[in-house]
Amino acid sequence: MSQIAVMEQQLDAIKEEAKKAFKNASDLSQLDQERVKYLGKKGALTEVLKGVGKLSPEDRPAIGKIVNKVKDDLDRTFKISQAVMKDKLGLLRIEAERVDVTMPGRVTSRGYKHPVQNGLDELTAIFTQMGFDIAQGPEIEDEFHNFDALNIPPEHPARAMHDTFFLKEFTDRPMVLRTHTSPVQIRAMQRFLKEGNEPPLAVVAPGRVYRCDYDMTHSPMFHQVEVFKVDRDVSLANLKGVLKHFLSAYFGKELPIRLRPSYFPFTEPSAEVDIGCVLCDGKGCRVCKQTGWIEVLGSGMIHPNVLKSVGIDSDTYSGFAFGLGVERMVMLKQGIPDLRLFFENDVRFLGRMGS
Amino acid sequence: MKLPLSWLKSHVALTDDVATIATHLVRLGHEVEGVEEPRSAVKGVRVGHIIEKKPHPDADKLSLLKVEIGDKQPLTIVCGASNMGEGDKVPVATIGTTLPNGLVIKQGKIRGETSFGMCCSEVELGLADESAGLLILPGDAPVGAEVGELLGLEEAVFDLSITPNRGDCMSVRGLARDLAADSGLELADISIDPVPADSSIALPHISIAAVDGCPLYLGRRIEGVKVSDSPAWIQARLIAAGQRPVNGVVDVLNMIMLDLGQPMHAFDTDSLNGAVSIRITSGGESFEALDGRKLTLPEGDLVVADESAVIALAGIMGSEPSGVTGTTVNIMLESAFFKPAKVSETRRHHGMVSEASMRFERGVDPAMVAVAMEQATTLILETFGGRAGAVSVSGSAGGINAKEPLTFDFSRIEKRLGIEVPESTDAVLSRMGFGVSRSQGKMRVSIPGHRHDVSIPEDISEEYARVIGFDAVPECLPPLATTKPAAVDHSIDYAVADGFVQAISYAFISEAEQRMFSPDDGNDILLENPISEAMAVMRRSGWPGLLGIARHNMNRQQPGVMLVEQGRSYEKNGDGHRENNIMAWLMCGEIQSDQWHTTVRSADFFDMKGAVESWLASNGLTARFMANDDVQGLQAGQSADLFIGKSVVGRIGKVDAAIADHYDIDASVFVAEINLDVLPEGKKAKFQPLPEFPGVERDLVFLFDRTDRVEAILQAVRKAGGNLLTDARVFDRYVGQGVPDGKVSLGVRFTLQDAKRTLTQKDSDGVSAAIVAAMEKIFNAPLRG
Ligand SMILES: [Zn+2]
Repeated sequence: MSQIAVMEQQLDAIKEEAKKAFKNASDLSQLDQERVKYLGKKGALTEVLKGVGKLSPEDRPAIGKIVNKVKDDLDRTFKISQAVMKDKLGLLRIEAERVDVTMPGRVTSRGYKHPVQNGLDELTAIFTQMGFDIAQGPEIEDEFHNFDALNIPPEHPARAMHDTFFLKEFTDRPMVLRTHTSPVQIRAMQRFLKEGNEPPLAVVAPGRVYRCDYDMTHSPMFHQVEVFKVDRDVSLANLKGVLKHFLSAYFGKELPIRLRPSYFPFTEPSAEVDIGCVLCDGKGCRVCKQTGWIEVLGSGMIHPNVLKSVGIDSDTYSGFAFGLGVERMVMLKQGIPDLRLFFENDVRFLGRMGS
Repeated sequence: MKLPLSWLKSHVALTDDVATIATHLVRLGHEVEGVEEPRSAVKGVRVGHIIEKKPHPDADKLSLLKVEIGDKQPLTIVCGASNMGEGDKVPVATIGTTLPNGLVIKQGKIRGETSFGMCCSEVELGLADESAGLLILPGDAPVGAEVGELLGLEEAVFDLSITPNRGDCMSVRGLARDLAADSGLELADISIDPVPADSSIALPHISIAAVDGCPLYLGRRIEGVKVSDSPAWIQARLIAAGQRPVNGVVDVLNMIMLDLGQPMHAFDTDSLNGAVSIRITSGGESFEALDGRKLTLPEGDLVVADESAVIALAGIMGSEPSGVTGTTVNIMLESAFFKPAKVSETRRHHGMVSEASMRFERGVDPAMVAVAMEQATTLILETFGGRAGAVSVSGSAGGINAKEPLTFDFSRIEKRLGIEVPESTDAVLSRMGFGVSRSQGKMRVSIPGHRHDVSIPEDISEEYARVIGFDAVPECLPPLATTKPAAVDHSIDYAVADGFVQAISYAFISEAEQRMFSPDDGNDILLENPISEAMAVMRRSGWPGLLGIARHNMNRQQPGVMLVEQGRSYEKNGDGHRENNIMAWLMCGEIQSDQWHTTVRSADFFDMKGAVESWLASNGLTARFMANDDVQGLQAGQSADLFIGKSVVGRIGKVDAAIADHYDIDASVFVAEINLDVLPEGKKAKFQPLPEFPGVERDLVFLFDRTDRVEAILQAVRKAGGNLLTDARVFDRYVGQGVPDGKVSLGVRFTLQDAKRTLTQKDSDGVSAAIVAAMEKIFNAPLRG
């Protein structure tokens, strides 16, 4: 047998042996050991190549070719074995890591804002976007700001209708819990003028108010938002424009509005404002007493006496003002049937209705 | 106010249907709260004649009646009322009738006795909201007749809410005037010939001492009247208008008040002593009111008095002894103008309201004072006989409510309304009684005496607005006005982000609750007229409110609650008072529930502290927590003051067990409160480049004395750590096996970082050694195992 033939036989044997070893390797590290054993620097193939030196020069290229072919073949076999093994191990791991996706997720407990707070925030935001500035005022008020400056003198029948909480005397003047947010009108105008400004002045004043009245539909404490604007030639048409815009923005749909003449001492003319019933779209239901309309707030053109009480010239300037009950707006928007739920503070209610 | 359509039509011949009239009333500013149609609602209710009344054999409070209703057999009816007697006529709802409240009358047994119908009060007939027994019908009512027909419940009744500025519309006549003017129809003529005086009857001696309170007072004697029930038509009108008949004379006066808006009063002259005067009290006189109240009058009341006693609080209520009863023979009629402010002042002294005071307070029509007197005299003479003397007139109607005509640019009206006002609307105002003239853009308006509410051009603009209708005014957005960015308060959002549920509780609490967390130092602000003792004092802390809410929720099977409230607290402050803007927190019970991945955990001090620290951090603030064993209502050893700089900004701690117990809370309760008004401005985040080189973290565990404070330890660690140290915190705390008594094992983790280079082993070893040395030296604390 020629030298070449012997070597060819050797190479064939190595090839078969190596292929078998690659196939039988039990894990990736054994497979790698087998690779080193056959294909490594000191591996079987290299050993065979050392014998090339004994060959005649004319035979060497031929055997070189054969060796390279075997090497390529084994490389390929190794890579396939490696890939197959990786796949197999991967599947095992994936199986081991399988979870029940229907198990409840891990949640951190979250909090909720009170629905009335949401209402206050939403309403205030609508007005700030319309260019009104936010103002606040005290809840313990004197009678001047709560009544007199608002054109409600002591003998006025409207004053008795306010169900006012009086505070036991502790200052030189009688104090009350404010019965509405309208005194902020007076305070904001006074502050504005004191700072040396001149109208226009546009203000939104959210806050807590108090009435001595407690039953199914009345809470002794509730929330109002007072809105007013003073400028040259502010008109009733402007009031209607602002009402229409804000009511549609709050309820998230274009709503018809209706003004009915009414009476408030601090506005002249005065109007009650109705919106098309948000529950039945004006068709008539229990909430709107089949009328298709729901009364939502009181409004009007600021009475000249109110402007006069803070020193604004009512010949030059005019204004509109309105005040709305936040609880009522939230009840209408979220379909909450009972005012008392807001002050019971049951966390199940707050979680469902808050955000 | 109830306005029967038939009564309204006696003043103006309206032809519109009920719905259209209601729309006009609303547009004119008279809110229609409802339209009732009583007759159709009471069909089947008939006039019954009680022929026998016996007690129910089995029930003290029930009667067994035999009632004749014009059928062959009288009906047996079981009745719970007590104001009827044999011979009375009452409304009987027969079997099959459906009453306005939805009740269907059926034959039924009541305590063993069969009842074949039901006797009704005004409430059951839908005529009033309350009543004191059965409605007793006039004696001449035909037995068996339909009650709806008898009472003239022929047409609709409008239920109106009259605004307090329109005293002139608290009468059928006033509303008719508005509607007639609006529709262009004639208002019926109500002028009446004066009753000729019987010269044998003396003129009453009347003098007005209080001209400021009473500019006009008419008095007239009528002698020899025989007071009986008023005729059916008057009773029917009163009932339809929601009033209960009292006696003949009083009914006539009440009907005239409802018709013309002029309240009247009748005195029994035989009970009077000498001349009558209208004066202001000087204080101390006693007065027994018709409603049974016995009063001592203060200084300043406007009254009508004879020479020995006050006989009426003017325009509000007469006295019991001078009142007209069924046996009265001689009377003095009063028709007057009492000034709104004075009636209001007197009324408020006594917390009294009457139909009369409501009208005087809002202002009556001075022109009606004399008309009402003549109408009342005529009706009384016609119905009850008697002879009338001449009218004694004190004062005059002329000057009452007289105002200078208004003159102004008409453009003022149009600018305020934002709409053009056609000249044709002037005619409507004229029909309402205004004198209106326009020329060259100028307007001149004279104001009628019955319009107490009109005095400035803006009032005229309202008149135009309601005639034209607010619907006619366009919707027109004004230009934007703001100059400032909106400052939004995120206080509650930060707390909610930490898992708290926002509560809103009342600002007033009970005094007992106040005493839980605030001393009795005279700084409480008390309500003069609280709803109840539970709402009697303005809160000085948000905690009692939150405790009440925690109780509510824990009682409803919540295993734990995390609550936050933003609001105000209130207290006296020297001569004045203070309203503080506060945040208040409460945690109690399980704040982490038993789940597959974690175990149940109840709130402790450090949960509360963490929440407060997190909230402060959201505001760019940090506070020092300084133990304070003397916070009222909090448990010693688990309570602290919060300091920012040198000022206390809040309190935190565990609520005393006794207080939690008082609220039935069977868990530890932790609370915190921060006064937002004293918080300094927080640090605004400034840009800093992110570190380029990695930091190194090291842990060291030491054995400290239990009395060593973590705040001091970490301070020492930071100092020893030097410039490289960027953070130090406690990551482990252990007491128990392997730790001697009185000692605690604390693990300190610190982070080193340099902006310019990567740190080496040598750096961290050096810092560790310095910290170990410092702990040894300052706290005598050895490094542990
Ligand atoms: Zn509806």
